[in-house]
Amino acid sequence: MGSLFRSEEMTLAQLFLQSETAYVCVSELGELGVVQFRDLNPDVNAFQRKFVNEVRRCEEMERKLRFIEKEIKKDGIPMLDTGDNPDAPAPREMIDLEATFERLENEMKEVNTNAEALKRNFLELTELKHILRKTQVFFDEMHDQPRQDEAQTLLGEEVSQAGIPALKLGFVAGVILRERIPAFERLLWRACRGNVFLKFAEIETPLEDPVTGDQVNKCVFIIFFQGEQLKTRVKKICEGFRATLYPCPETPAERREMAIGVMTRIEDLNTVLGQTQDHRHRVLVAAAKNIKVWFIKVQKIKAIYHTLNFCNLDVTQKCLIAECWCPISELEKIQLALRRGTERSGAAVPSILNRMSTKESPPTFNRTNKFTAAFQALVDSYGVASYREVNPAPFAIISFPFIFAVMFGDAGHGIVMALFGLWMVIKEKSLIAQKSTNEIWNTFFGGRYIILLMGLFSIYTGLIYNDFYSKSVNIFGSAWQSNYTLEDIEAHKVLQLCPNRINCTNLAKEPIHMDYRGYPYPFGMDPIWAISVNRITYTNSYKMKMSIIIGVAQMLFGVMLSIWNHRYFKEPLNIIAEFIPEMIFLNSIFGYLCVLCIYKWSVWPGDDAACAPSILLGLINMFLFKYEDYDDENIVCNQKTMFRSQQALQTLLVILAVLSAMVLLLVKPLYLRREHNKKLAIRSIADAVESAPEVTGEDVQIHDAQSRSSADPSPSGHGMDGEEFDFGDLFVYQCIHTIEFCLGCISHTASYLRLWALSLAHGQLSEVLWTMVLHMGFIFDSYAGAFVLFAVFAAWAMLTIGILLVMEGLSAFLHTLRLHWVEFQSKFYHGSGYAFLPFSFEVILDQAQASDHEVH
Amino acid sequence: MTGLSELYFNIDSGYLEGLVRGFKGGILKQNDYLNLVQCETLDDLKLHLQSTDYGNFLANEPSPLTVSVIDDKLKEKLVVEFQHIRNHAVEPLSTFLDYITYSYMIDNIILLITGTLHSRPITELIPKCHPLGSFEEMEAIHIAGTPAELYNAVLVDTPLAPFFVDCISEQDLDEMNIEIIRNTLYKAYLEDFHVYCSELGGATAEVMCEILAFEADRRAFIITINSFGTELTKDDRAKLYPRCGKLHPDGLAALARADEYEQVRAVAEFYAEYKQLFDGAGNNPGDKTLEDKFFEHEVKLNVNAFMQQFHFGVFYSYVKLKEQEVRNIVWIAECVAQRHRAKIDSYIPIL
Repeated sequence: MGSLFRSEEMTLAQLFLQSETAYVCVSELGELGVVQFRDLNPDVNAFQRKFVNEVRRCEEMERKLRFIEKEIKKDGIPMLDTGDNPDAPAPREMIDLEATFERLENEMKEVNTNAEALKRNFLELTELKHILRKTQVFFDEMHDQPRQDEAQTLLGEEVSQAGIPALKLGFVAGVILRERIPAFERLLWRACRGNVFLKFAEIETPLEDPVTGDQVNKCVFIIFFQGEQLKTRVKKICEGFRATLYPCPETPAERREMAIGVMTRIEDLNTVLGQTQDHRHRVLVAAAKNIKVWFIKVQKIKAIYHTLNFCNLDVTQKCLIAECWCPISELEKIQLALRRGTERSGAAVPSILNRMSTKESPPTFNRTNKFTAAFQALVDSYGVASYREVNPAPFAIISFPFIFAVMFGDAGHGIVMALFGLWMVIKEKSLIAQKSTNEIWNTFFGGRYIILLMGLFSIYTGLIYNDFYSKSVNIFGSAWQSNYTLEDIEAHKVLQLCPNRINCTNLAKEPIHMDYRGYPYPFGMDPIWAISVNRITYTNSYKMKMSIIIGVAQMLFGVMLSIWNHRYFKEPLNIIAEFIPEMIFLNSIFGYLCVLCIYKWSVWPGDDAACAPSILLGLINMFLFKYEDYDDENIVCNQKTMFRSQQALQTLLVILAVLSAMVLLLVKPLYLRREHNKKLAIRSIADAVESAPEVTGEDVQIHDAQSRSSADPSPSGHGMDGEEFDFGDLFVYQCIHTIEFCLGCISHTASYLRLWALSLAHGQLSEVLWTMVLHMGFIFDSYAGAFVLFAVFAAWAMLTIGILLVMEGLSAFLHTLRLHWVEFQSKFYHGSGYAFLPFSFEVILDQAQASDHEVH
Repeated sequence: MTGLSELYFNIDSGYLEGLVRGFKGGILKQNDYLNLVQCETLDDLKLHLQSTDYGNFLANEPSPLTVSVIDDKLKEKLVVEFQHIRNHAVEPLSTFLDYITYSYMIDNIILLITGTLHSRPITELIPKCHPLGSFEEMEAIHIAGTPAELYNAVLVDTPLAPFFVDCISEQDLDEMNIEIIRNTLYKAYLEDFHVYCSELGGATAEVMCEILAFEADRRAFIITINSFGTELTKDDRAKLYPRCGKLHPDGLAALARADEYEQVRAVAEFYAEYKQLFDGAGNNPGDKTLEDKFFEHEVKLNVNAFMQQFHFGVFYSYVKLKEQEVRNIVWIAECVAQRHRAKIDSYIPIL
């Protein structure tokens, strides 16, 4: 369809939905997902809308489902995700669903309370079991030792004072959380003034808390004290520390008896607990089969009522009025969906879709597929295109990877990147199915096609630069040969190859044939440069010029694209007063600069390369009007102009540039003011005519036509009424635009030099990695070298991937993004639109799932 | 740490300050309150709160909602935020944050003692305590019969111990003495906090001393007004005034002599900011109570704390503002639940 060039044509439509069919119709539209509803009651509170009760019921259902889901997850039962997508259930089914969930929730709650009670019981019994076991140890210790002395020293005084037989020590035993022991002990000591004896032992196995289900560590303690007062106090403290006290018989026989009783009760409880667990499991397994489908259904119902809340009721309360944006090409489908909805609900009166005209600018809807989506996202993150504006995304498909590759030019790295991209593209389906939540991975995966293309283009530019992991590859045979003898080469560190056709000499000053074979290397950079000392000087000069040429070409293309905007929005004034002067300005300075670059490449061969003039100085002199006489013999040849009539041409170009800047600044505001004044004059005449008794139809028509033509050239295409005309504003705006464009041309051209800078940095970094890391692996001659190389290669590969591919790749990506957003798009792209967000179940369910993932 | 504290502030506390400023951005605006007071039921309230920063905090609560559930959840959110900040804080911010919790601990202790006095079971009282001020020994408070016991057995290990020293002399735990203990504790707490903030210096001292001074003066006023017609002697009363406010020493001396409301008012006349508060207050319908006026002034001071950067006052102010917000929401919720809409507008908006 080629619709990527411009966004889809949209229309505002009014939907008249009979109240009984509204639900089904909206559900159909949600399945279709091409309609964006507008909120017709933005001032109404969320809780004052018509369908707030239904929304609330849905939320209640969601809550119940979440509860059930939590229980399912607690038991680790797998939830069946069949991936099927049920239709939104009819409103009456909602009651069934509610009843089902209600029943399930109640059942779950009942099971849980039962299980909790049982577990508490179980916990108590287990604790009692531990108490009996541990206290037995305490008591045994006491019996083992000759306890008599201790008792006497402890109680002797009291016994003699009270004159009664030795008081029996009372004791309580209980269980407490292990981490509370120190504070508990301290408080006991303080509150009872040291008159109690605390002994505790850890329970080795962690116990399960019946409410939360957590595993907690506990301790058994036993406190000995004397007297009732202390007893109440100790009990209060125990209560304060949430210690559970258990009755502990005093005689060993009773204890043993009790222990046996406890053991049998634990056995019994275990069977009952098992049955409860089984029941719970059965209920949950049944629920787990359906829970995903239920979630989808409830979310759909909720979304529908949410949308219905956007609608207005008409006066008769019989039908709902909705307003929506929809693409014109989808109108048929929407009509069909509405008809389907009407049929399904069995209503007699059909729903009506009514197109409306509006002055509001419609949303921007670019239809993308999985390939173009990533590129569109790059553009949209700068700003969503204004409605029907030229969309830079289709051009970015090629220019983005290409410009990236200019900076990332290394065939070896390109291959790795392309393979990574290719793997993601081939494995696409299974990777999507994994639904990863890793943000970094999702970013890379979302841009898989960009990565693939960037890799392929990098291979291409790498071949042109003849860089393969920073090494050059001699595929076709170098175009250079050496006339030096072996002795010469061994005796000198650096030797020069002679590019001249005549006057070549060897070291002994004897004339020789030139070292250049006479025909260039067929593709890309000659590999001979890899061993030359002036490689960087050479590539710098080449890459700088190339960056300028690519940059100017891209900017020119951007300016040219603006003509499609001007023509589409019927703004002929902008073509004359903006497009043409901009083209002239850009071409007369920077277009000319590119011509000079190419001219310099083609005219000065090796023989008189020394005479080639500097382009940079030439450009500066162009503005200073400083020229040396072309025919003057006394002037050094590289100071001369490049060709005979250069002075005249350059003067003309500078004048043209200045003139076009003036045109850009003045013509549009002045013209608009004249039109405005003309219109005012006509209006005053028309007013005069109107006040006169005889009004002819023709006059009115002229008046209308005038007002329309004056409204059209305004930038946004509407809203500029005669009364709102403000020359000052317009002039300042145009002034800013002119300054921005003219200065922009200069700074943007300079900005494109980053192509060279990053490409240089990338080349140098990979060379450093080669010489400083991998090269180390080659210095051993013996077999041991193999093992060293093995280790060194690992380091080299890691660094290559980490620094060169990932870090350098990201930096080149960022710079490419900048070049597209700032340098390219600023020439034609407003990006002041807003995106089309259709009401679509698919999107809503995806979002719900994503937020679900975030929570867990 | 003085003088150059701004330079190093962000190293330790920059993240938390940013966080708390972000939290503050989520405090309900006047617009939200206007929407809230229109609610017909608590479910409406929930629906609207969902569209604010509170998000889905009530999503898992079964209908019908009760005000106490809303209150608990609101508090829980504040506590979670505060605990997060406290867990990431280092000295001296951590001590500062601990100081904030002390006031809640005092409230909890008093609540528990009063509850025990009326022989309510401790398990019933514990849920009513503010979660920010809970501490380990809290639940054992009911063993104490006298203040001395309370101190020796329970409080001696808590950070409140130094504040309590002055109260040990009290003989009995009765209603009156509990009030006296509360106010003595508060007085000691405020003065200590004031000293601590002054020692921190810099913008923290500037902001916090202002707020704490107001807090101290407010207590002095309220103690005086509430003491009329009770058996509290003037001398005892004067001992309860926190001495770190602007009223100290002249105003406090004058307050100590006061016998009736008009005399308190006359004292306030001498202080520009308090004069305004007393002038605007009244008990007639439609008038704002003095208490509300005080709250409004407190909110203003707390909001002002956010005007400066690189100080700890924002943490204190955030907690206090949030507390006020919770009070507002609960007030509105109560009005909605009891269908008593006449006074629904007397919340205190946080600007």
